[in-house]
Amino acid sequence: MRPELKEYNLDWLFAATFNVSRNLCNATPGELKAMFDYIPYVRPLLEPLLATGKPAMTFLDFFGDYYTDIVHARENNKKVVMTTFCFDPSVFHAIENLVPVTLEIGTALTSMLWKRGSSDFMDYCTEIGFSETGCSSQRGAMGAYLAGLGAKIDLVALNMGGVCDTNANAYSFAAQYLDIPYYGLDYPANLTSAEVQDYHHKDYRALIQFIQDNTGCRFDIDRLREVLEEKKKQDDLMNELEEMQRLVPNPVPGIYHVMIYAGRYIFSGKKKYTQMLREMVAIVRETAEQGRSGLKHGPERNRSFLAYIDNYSLGIAMIEWFEKKGISHVGSILSRTFAETAPYTTGVPGTSYRIDTTSLDTMIDSMADINARMPMTRTIRGPYDAPNMWLEDTISLARMYQADCCIYCGTPGCRNTWSNVKLLARDLESVGFPTHIVHADSFDTRVEAWETTQMRLEEFYKIRGLL
Amino acid sequence: MKKVFTEAATRLNIPAIQKWKEAGGKVVGYTCSFTPVELFYAAGILPVRLRGIDATSMEIADAYYGPFVCSFPKALLQLAGSGRYAFLDGVVISNGCDTMRRLDDCWRKMGQDMPGTAPPWFYYVDVPHKPDGHARDWYVNQIKKMMAAVEKQFHVTLTEEALGRAVRKQNNVRRLLWELEKLRQADDLKVTGAEAYAAIVAGTVMPRDDYAAHLADLIDDIRTRKADVAADRKRLFLSGSVCDDFDLISLIEESDAVVAGENVCFGVRTAEDYVEETGDPVAALAARYLSGSVCPRMLGWYRERASMHMQRIKHLKADGVILQNIRFCDLHGSENGLFERDLEKNGLPALRIEREYGPLVDRGRLKMRVDAFIEQLTSQKKSTLRGNHAT
Amino acid sequence: MTITAGCDVGSLTSKAVVMKNRRILGAAIIRSGPKPAESAAQVMAGVLEQTGLSQKEVACCVGTGYGREKIAFVDQVVSEISCHAKGARWLVPSARTIFDIGGQDCKVIKLDPHGNLEKFVTNDKCASGTGRFLDVMAKVMNMKVSDLGKLAAKSDAPVTFASVCTVFAQADVIKHINARRPVADICAGINTAMANRVSMLANTIKLEKDICITGGVAKNDGVVKALNKILGCRIKQIKRVDPQLTGAVGAALFALEKNNGDKK
Repeated sequence: MRPELKEYNLDWLFAATFNVSRNLCNATPGELKAMFDYIPYVRPLLEPLLATGKPAMTFLDFFGDYYTDIVHARENNKKVVMTTFCFDPSVFHAIENLVPVTLEIGTALTSMLWKRGSSDFMDYCTEIGFSETGCSSQRGAMGAYLAGLGAKIDLVALNMGGVCDTNANAYSFAAQYLDIPYYGLDYPANLTSAEVQDYHHKDYRALIQFIQDNTGCRFDIDRLREVLEEKKKQDDLMNELEEMQRLVPNPVPGIYHVMIYAGRYIFSGKKKYTQMLREMVAIVRETAEQGRSGLKHGPERNRSFLAYIDNYSLGIAMIEWFEKKGISHVGSILSRTFAETAPYTTGVPGTSYRIDTTSLDTMIDSMADINARMPMTRTIRGPYDAPNMWLEDTISLARMYQADCCIYCGTPGCRNTWSNVKLLARDLESVGFPTHIVHADSFDTRVEAWETTQMRLEEFYKIRGLL
Repeated sequence: MKKVFTEAATRLNIPAIQKWKEAGGKVVGYTCSFTPVELFYAAGILPVRLRGIDATSMEIADAYYGPFVCSFPKALLQLAGSGRYAFLDGVVISNGCDTMRRLDDCWRKMGQDMPGTAPPWFYYVDVPHKPDGHARDWYVNQIKKMMAAVEKQFHVTLTEEALGRAVRKQNNVRRLLWELEKLRQADDLKVTGAEAYAAIVAGTVMPRDDYAAHLADLIDDIRTRKADVAADRKRLFLSGSVCDDFDLISLIEESDAVVAGENVCFGVRTAEDYVEETGDPVAALAARYLSGSVCPRMLGWYRERASMHMQRIKHLKADGVILQNIRFCDLHGSENGLFERDLEKNGLPALRIEREYGPLVDRGRLKMRVDAFIEQLTSQKKSTLRGNHAT
Repeated sequence: MTITAGCDVGSLTSKAVVMKNRRILGAAIIRSGPKPAESAAQVMAGVLEQTGLSQKEVACCVGTGYGREKIAFVDQVVSEISCHAKGARWLVPSARTIFDIGGQDCKVIKLDPHGNLEKFVTNDKCASGTGRFLDVMAKVMNMKVSDLGKLAAKSDAPVTFASVCTVFAQADVIKHINARRPVADICAGINTAMANRVSMLANTIKLEKDICITGGVAKNDGVVKALNKILGCRIKQIKRVDPQLTGAVGAALFALEKNNGDKK
């Protein structure tokens, strides 16, 4: 690891960056322009982000809060729980002295804000014995925490067992390496059966017991209720954006997707996230009323659905490239919540969740159900062609949002999807969706440089006549 | 070396399986050691562990599986696509790991593309990633559902007595395997790794009663032997990703070493490794198959596994441990990293090897590493004996 | 006065060393052919001719390298890891860690305070971090590998490579050439990418000083310089002989021990 990386903790760097950028709401365009020259590596994210206006400021604000909480957890007598992005943090927000830190967010941020991304930290994981072929999304930030370059972690709690070995394995390794307690929720292949529902509910209760036993805290039922009621509002706002996204042209800017799901993974149930969503809805409503597309310049020439995740190496190059080409981003596997109230739920019992705040029991069941429908936990837990799994979800979403084509972006560490993406692509093609498989690593530019990825995307769009 | 065992370890469709089928018997393949084989024996079906030996190319598998995945399930798919598993009447696939469970997706698709390459019956079983509490209850239910599915597909009735009988007979096999392990713990080691390993793997493809008789025979024979095969050789323990690969053990034993034991997804682990013979057999099966965590798929149970391994390694008097993982096997790949650290803390040298599953094309490279490891063990031992005098 | 020999048959080059007690009489390096037995015979013949000796006069010969099992005239075979360790320790008596970067392999070897083999790690994944990487990049740059190091010395701003993959990094080199980056900077970037990969492997075991480097890549000053920088310490370069001969030197020393009945 380069010696300079040992000077500052990673989460401190994030906290400092976001806290400073919060002040940009007072900057003039001229001041911004001058400043950008000094931050060539943060600029690729910051510039397009700031162009969104108010939502950007709220985003920077709550990200500042998020990392500040983590950095000061210890001195504020709080425990830090390490978790994954597809574990809804509402439960942690309902506990007074518990602060969650989500690895994948950290790794994605280093890819978007740093010259080389987190390659040093990823290599560090390999040096201490972790498998180099594991998913890069955990390995980046994980390397920092395992090297002692981040807040001290007290426990690990997540879902992903049964859905993604490489993810669950990374956290299990981290827990073992740091010698701290670990609890993983378990996910069978089926989503909707009563048996599975019951299993989820029991498993989640055991998780809560684990958290209580290892942090010495209790839930405040009122606080939990408050968090879940706030989440309901957030779901409603996201639903409205989803509904408007169906318009042609699509009035929702591509970058909103990243802002929305990043916010959801770290700030579910907290007020500032609701605020950002409100600001977004206001802007999109106006854009929709004027019949404009959410693209910064020019008309919408194509609508593309990301069958898996976005690409974050480096900056938000792919999203910017979409903008340049007039490609409207109609979401990825990361974008949807599957709340009962969402426009894309099928009405088939069990495929979506309902938030019921009547009692502690119903609230715990609701959280268990939310978790079972988080990205990946829902979609890639069972055979790709089973009901409510990857193929069905992709086709129905791509159709609903009138996508012209599908793109698969992921990481070489994704054992799960690489084991069936060829099958998915074949089936998508056969129902009329040109599909492109990207062989890059969304978090690690060393696998395939963006220039190469872009070249291949250009080729795909050109040859298939999509632009 | 028992011919019947070597044959079973190195061939897919052995004469015993052919005979079984000729007599009208059914054969069901399974992918993972978490599947209760007793269930099939109780139904009069021969359970056969699916293996990837003999897969010399991957072009069929590569049409379905993407890159960046473990070559073991790819080998299985390749063999199935080449018609080598045409003798199966069904396959049970469980979620051993992500790549293995996708064998279900890929094989079914291949069966659509190439009629005849998929068995008439596929069954997917959800094994929990935890061994106790509600997870165990879950598994009890999954076993019951699997029993019902087997009954329906094969027109049989699985009685409690039949299941109980199958449990007792399989326990007998387990006890024999433990006898074999005890022989390998002896100061005078009278059985090579290759021989023991062939015997262990054979147990997953041969009809059980036949197998038990041959195994008992082998154990008696070993007891009469005089020669210590480990004399002037290092005793090694092999651990890691699934390894039904007789060749790898042989390769290790070509150097000055003997494989005294292995933890690679076959065989028994402890003297307590059997199914309870009293009470409800389904509950007993779930308890045994989920307990004594031996596989990193049981997330969060590393300490128990490491401790059990360490005991085994010490009792087998191993001088060193070879930790292998198949490329892209993150579960074993990472656990090997932790285990290496803990072994070395306990004064046990370890060698980590990453390999492709399949015919040993990187034979020379692997052999060099094993040779160097043995030289390392030898020089360390001499150094200790000489009281660490300077060279 | 005992004459012993060591023969190291690698996949790319074959080396032989003849020693008289603890003095090197002669050494030879040739490009390996497809048959290791023939390469061994050829290089051995070369060094014997050089020293004016005959095979009969060699009391003991140890073979190493990937082709070691195929050499007809050796008395014993020892892995190249042990041989490189032995040779390096003899050439650099303070050596505790050895980087052996060959044409297709990269190994990091650790010795205990008494010079015994304590642990080793090897690259299992791919060609990055081996001489192959440099060969491929040098070809793209249209220069000799030996020039990579010389030119890199003139740079103080190495380019960053986006990819460490030997296949994909070629595209990176072309990109930098087209962007008219100074050749020296590109060469330095190649060396740095290589060194990064080696250091990651090295850091999987706790490095102990003194560190020395053997194998063909040891002759590339650029990579050595980059490694020094990344590891934060000076690697001791082998000066007494061509570092590519280290394995054969170690083998000759093992031959001497075997001959003296001194079992190690």
